[in-house]
Amino acid sequence: MSQETLRRVIPQTQAMFDAYGVLNGDNDIIHYDDQFAKDRGFRGTLGHGLMYTAYVCDLAAKRYGADWHYRGRLTVKYVRGVCPGDNLEVRLEPDGTVACQSQFDTTLVGSATLA
Amino acid sequence: MTRPTDVKPREGEQPAALYKDWVVGAEFPPLPFTITRDVVQEYQSVVAADPANYVIKGRQAAPPNVVLVYMMAVMYRLYPPQQGGIMIGNTIEFHNPIWADEDTDVIGTGRVTEKFEKKGRKYICYDVDFKRPDGTRLVSCSHTSAFPE
Repeated sequence: MSQETLRRVIPQTQAMFDAYGVLNGDNDIIHYDDQFAKDRGFRGTLGHGLMYTAYVCDLAAKRYGADWHYRGRLTVKYVRGVCPGDNLEVRLEPDGTVACQSQFDTTLVGSATLA
Repeated sequence: MTRPTDVKPREGEQPAALYKDWVVGAEFPPLPFTITRDVVQEYQSVVAADPANYVIKGRQAAPPNVVLVYMMAVMYRLYPPQQGGIMIGNTIEFHNPIWADEDTDVIGTGRVTEKFEKKGRKYICYDVDFKRPDGTRLVSCSHTSAFPE
């Protein structure tokens, strides 16, 4: 099992938000209507929280292998929105700490461990 | 084949459940669906998952979190969604693989666990369990969202 920090940088686009929404059926306009999102105090449309969760899970699956499927445990909090144009860095530390960070802020914090 | 859009009420299509409507302890009706190989492939694509990270003893598994695209459908069938919901947090446990080379029948169930207001936001907490029809547990999730009304 790798004990180094695992990281990926995934630039975010509206097309990615749209593609995820086509699959999961999410019609919440906070993901698609720029003005609606800005009126609610965000920088722009928001990406789907479970999309970022999946980015973290991908690193956890890489680290923990088969064990992740049988006793993986992920806890995440979405602390800031992710908007089109954000360069999102996803990290999994050796102790299981996870985070997503854009050029603007930390957007997700939590942990990915084995039960 | 069950795409999430086949079973998920969509925001804005019917009157939304409001904070006052949610009842702590309310059980969501069981939601049966099938995760097909096509859905697994599409999911891998939209979340930029690397299939190499999901091989178990030579067999290709799906990202087990693929089931999460159905999570809100379980809840929304009892409480139709409102626009402007914000996801706050999740605790997710994985119990058994979902394979990429077969279709997987799943039943989603769940319940409302908590509701509270804080700093002008209205928070809803609920649990969802995903099992195979034979009772094999796949994934469980404790979820929190905030809604405007």
